[in-house]
Amino acid sequence: MAVTHDVPPQLDELVSTAHRIRQAIESVIEGKSDAVRLTLTVLLAEGHLLIEDVPGVGKTMLAKALARSIDCPVRRVQFTPDLLPSDITGVSAYNQQTREFEFKPGPVFANIVVGDEINRASPKTQSALLECMEEHQVTVDGHTYQLDAPFMVIATQNPIEMEGTYPLPEAQRDRFTARVAMGYPEPTAELEMLDVHGGTSPLDKLEPVATTAEVRALIEAVRGVYVSQAVKKYAIDLVVATRHSPDLRLGASPRSTLQLVRAARAHAALAGRDYVIPDDLQDLAIPVLAHRLLPSVEAQGQRRLPEQVVTDLVRRVPVPETRSS
Amino acid sequence: MRLTIAAGVASFTAAFLLSPLFQGGGWFWTSLGVVLAVVAAGLVSSRLSLPAWAAPLLGLAATWIFLTLSFASDKAWALVVPTKSSVVELGRLLAVGWADIQRFAAPVPETEGVTLLTAGGVALIAIAVDLLAARVRRAALSGLPLLALATVPATILSEPISWWAFIVAALGFISLLIADGRERVGHWGRAVLVRRTRQATSGTPSAARAAADTSGLRLSGKRIGFAAILLAVLLPAALPAMEPVSFFTFGVGGRGSGPGNSISIPNPIANLKGQLDLPERRVVLTYANNDNKPRYLRIYALDTFDGQQFGMTQPKGAPQNRTENGPLPEPPGLGPEPKINNVVTNIRISDEIARLRFLPLPYPPREIRVDGDWRADVDTLMVFSTREEAAGLEYEVATSEPQPTVDLLDSLDGIRPEVDPRFLALPEDLPQEVRDLAEEVTAGATTTYDAALKLQEFFTKPGNFQYDLRTQGHSSSALRDFLIRDRVGYCEQFAASMAVLARQVGIPSRVAIGYTGGVQVGERWEVGTNDSHSWPELYFEGVGWLPFEPTPSGAAGQGSARVPVYAQPRPVETTGTSSTPTPGASSSAADEPQSPTARRNIRELDREGTVATGTLPPDDSMPLIAKIGIGLAALLLLLLIPAAARLVTRSRRVRSLGWKVSEPSDELTARMVSGRGRLTVAAAWAELDDVLYDYGMARETSETPRALARRLTQQYELDAESAAALSAIASAVERVLFARDPGRIEPMSKDLRKVRQALAATVSRGRRMRAVLLPPSTLRRLRLLGERLLDGFDLLETIRLRRTAAQKGG
Repeated sequence: MAVTHDVPPQLDELVSTAHRIRQAIESVIEGKSDAVRLTLTVLLAEGHLLIEDVPGVGKTMLAKALARSIDCPVRRVQFTPDLLPSDITGVSAYNQQTREFEFKPGPVFANIVVGDEINRASPKTQSALLECMEEHQVTVDGHTYQLDAPFMVIATQNPIEMEGTYPLPEAQRDRFTARVAMGYPEPTAELEMLDVHGGTSPLDKLEPVATTAEVRALIEAVRGVYVSQAVKKYAIDLVVATRHSPDLRLGASPRSTLQLVRAARAHAALAGRDYVIPDDLQDLAIPVLAHRLLPSVEAQGQRRLPEQVVTDLVRRVPVPETRSS
Repeated sequence: MRLTIAAGVASFTAAFLLSPLFQGGGWFWTSLGVVLAVVAAGLVSSRLSLPAWAAPLLGLAATWIFLTLSFASDKAWALVVPTKSSVVELGRLLAVGWADIQRFAAPVPETEGVTLLTAGGVALIAIAVDLLAARVRRAALSGLPLLALATVPATILSEPISWWAFIVAALGFISLLIADGRERVGHWGRAVLVRRTRQATSGTPSAARAAADTSGLRLSGKRIGFAAILLAVLLPAALPAMEPVSFFTFGVGGRGSGPGNSISIPNPIANLKGQLDLPERRVVLTYANNDNKPRYLRIYALDTFDGQQFGMTQPKGAPQNRTENGPLPEPPGLGPEPKINNVVTNIRISDEIARLRFLPLPYPPREIRVDGDWRADVDTLMVFSTREEAAGLEYEVATSEPQPTVDLLDSLDGIRPEVDPRFLALPEDLPQEVRDLAEEVTAGATTTYDAALKLQEFFTKPGNFQYDLRTQGHSSSALRDFLIRDRVGYCEQFAASMAVLARQVGIPSRVAIGYTGGVQVGERWEVGTNDSHSWPELYFEGVGWLPFEPTPSGAAGQGSARVPVYAQPRPVETTGTSSTPTPGASSSAADEPQSPTARRNIRELDREGTVATGTLPPDDSMPLIAKIGIGLAALLLLLLIPAAARLVTRSRRVRSLGWKVSEPSDELTARMVSGRGRLTVAAAWAELDDVLYDYGMARETSETPRALARRLTQQYELDAESAAALSAIASAVERVLFARDPGRIEPMSKDLRKVRQALAATVSRGRRMRAVLLPPSTLRRLRLLGERLLDGFDLLETIRLRRTAAQKGG
């Protein structure tokens, strides 16, 4: 049930733009509004998204749809075992005419970078993405090139049990703001997909509904969303709880606290609120935290997934509240 | 090893509970020594891995040696090795100790015998505890012998056990349990992780985890133990009691009762003479009873005759014969045949009576309602106290007077009296003339009763004896002089002589000292010093002790003396039986004696008598029903405290909710409004929280306002209006708590009421009643308080663990 209240004027535009983008994406991806919403949240939180699921459920489709619906440069990299770091960042090539080395920008020089099957590339190549994702810059031959804003990496990966995959190192997983699992569509949604998209690719019909400048403004608006001390404290409580849980070998990093709060800002803004409430954090705890955690041996023995552990923690950590006088 | 020591500690700490029973501290050291001996024996048998059955034997041996060393070392070989004479000595001391315990009331003086008995008892407990805890490995069961030890002071003393002694004893037992737990875990491996959630989410990770691994079990054990002790000490104080219980008195013995616990036997006869000699009459006591008849009030019963005068055997007041424990022991010898007249008498003792430690009572008392530690002697039914005095006392006594008919008494002839031989004992050197006189007087008596009558008649026959207070002394020939030569005396001589003669003819007898019925003043009977009296009581098997009256009455005798109906010279009309000493049979004919079969439950009869005759002053000690009623009412009031607290809290909150927030006009007002709004919302939120708790749909601590609203709306299918009200509250709370500027806050009392009504409609009527009468939310605060207390214990423990870890590390 939605709690009705007035949308603050500064968020009016944000809500309507975001709504347009969502509709655009959802015209391509049927019945995955949660995943779509999360994708938008990550975009507005200036983060990166990891989409993990079995092949053929629309990972790449989601990434592409988002890229298409925003009128901005989009590059797509298909990660393969023989992909080299320079294939991502770009190379300095010798220009015969000017007799100088010239930098040929790689695919990261775009606003949205879609990395397909990122865990098929070698760790060396994967780590080439690291600097770009965290620093929003690329350094080649001693030169540092700034990346355009917004910059978002949407990586898809197959579950690590699949053949021919290199599991992402913890450091790299930590750089993704959120991980989303697509999941199989509902039977009705799948039927509709067959009906509507049977003949043509829906992506072709997708027109951009927002400009880069608009998205940049949205991001700016999100930065202004208010986070009270109590909520910050709650975010810290949640993250600290993962570090102390006996079910986890590795808890969430301080970076994840930062990203959790940023994502919560975006989440609140998308809901038309100019302040973050604990619900935002609770909704985002699993996508933002779960992929960073390593279950302990005991938890693994009990087949407890990090998602379940996070659910338990959310259920246990008390929310901030007023102390009755 | 550890268990043996812990068992010793537990036994010794439990022995602390005995401290109020003794006057000094000598028993303490002996008990400590004997516990150490038992512990040493236990350690030896652990060391040698002796079988479980051998340990108690070794313990017993150690105890024996220790006791020999302490109490009979001069008779033992090389101070410790028991010899025959040392065993005899110990046995003698035990007997003496036993007798002392019977004789003295707590706190008892520390004679050797008492100390020996105590040490022996503590040793047996220690051996049993050691056997259960260290040998059989059932540490929890060892609480039973410890409990047995703890019940000793609880049953003997009327005061509550001192709380510090209880805490010490409980800590001892808990340390035993902890030692057992550690031993067990040590044997079987790692402790189970038992932690509280709050700990799991805060604190430094490594320290908390390490601590949890090693000490979780012990920690929670201690916590439960401390909580249990705390509850056990505090809870009884919070419960309503029927009588005011003096809580927190330090030590039972500490009430300053002073020495003098042995019963001091006054010289009743000297006392009696002194009172009768007083020039002016002073009021000793007044009484009223439900049939308004005068009765002899007995204070002492003298049972031994040494040839010169009657004396009293030391009365024994066993703890179970306290007056407050309900009915007194059965009157000796009273069978089912005689009709019983139940009387309730209210007696008020004058303030001026000094040093009276025996209660004047009509015989035979069945139940007494009196303040203080008064105890009845089983043989004589004298009621006395070692620490109280009767002066100024007001009390009530129910008596069951046997009303034997002459026929019945005649029919009892030939039944062997089953009494203590001391009631028949006469000195060897009783003058032969006296013996002959007894035979002479009773010659021709057909039955024992007839003989008794003839004896009484011998004294009362006009001209036979002369009543005179000026009679002198108790020389060895006093009895002979009175009976044979002078025949001049007062009640004491009459009573004693008749008792002696009765014994001579085989009737058990004793001399009672007390007061006659006195004179009627208004509704009460007044007894003065000149009513002091002495009379013989003769025993008939099946009827018990019956008073006789050999002393002349009226102007030429003891003024208010009266001859009992059954003892009046025959022939006499005995069909209409009456209460014992009455002015005449006719006046008591209307008295309805109760049937003997109804005599079983004397307590109940007592009540009936009270109710039927209605002579009890209403302001007097109230009946049990009223007490129960008052207790229940108090309990009810106490139970309603949470409800009242809830109402107060609610009204306070609602008042703050009704405050109207106007649109803020400038920054200052805005801040004020926000502050005030915060308060309002906090009140609404707290109230909603409590309402939910009361209805059993409590909010989880991790549930946000929004999630709560969602859950309630779905789970209880609230209608749109209530749902809107609920979400309005949730939204306001959210804004106040988390938004930069909460904006306009509407008064929420209406919303709150709507939500409460909607939620109330979803729960059962019982639940609603409970929410009003016994709101759990009020009790939750108490629980929170308790949790905080436990957290405090945790904190202390954590600090200690950290320090230990630091020491290990450094």
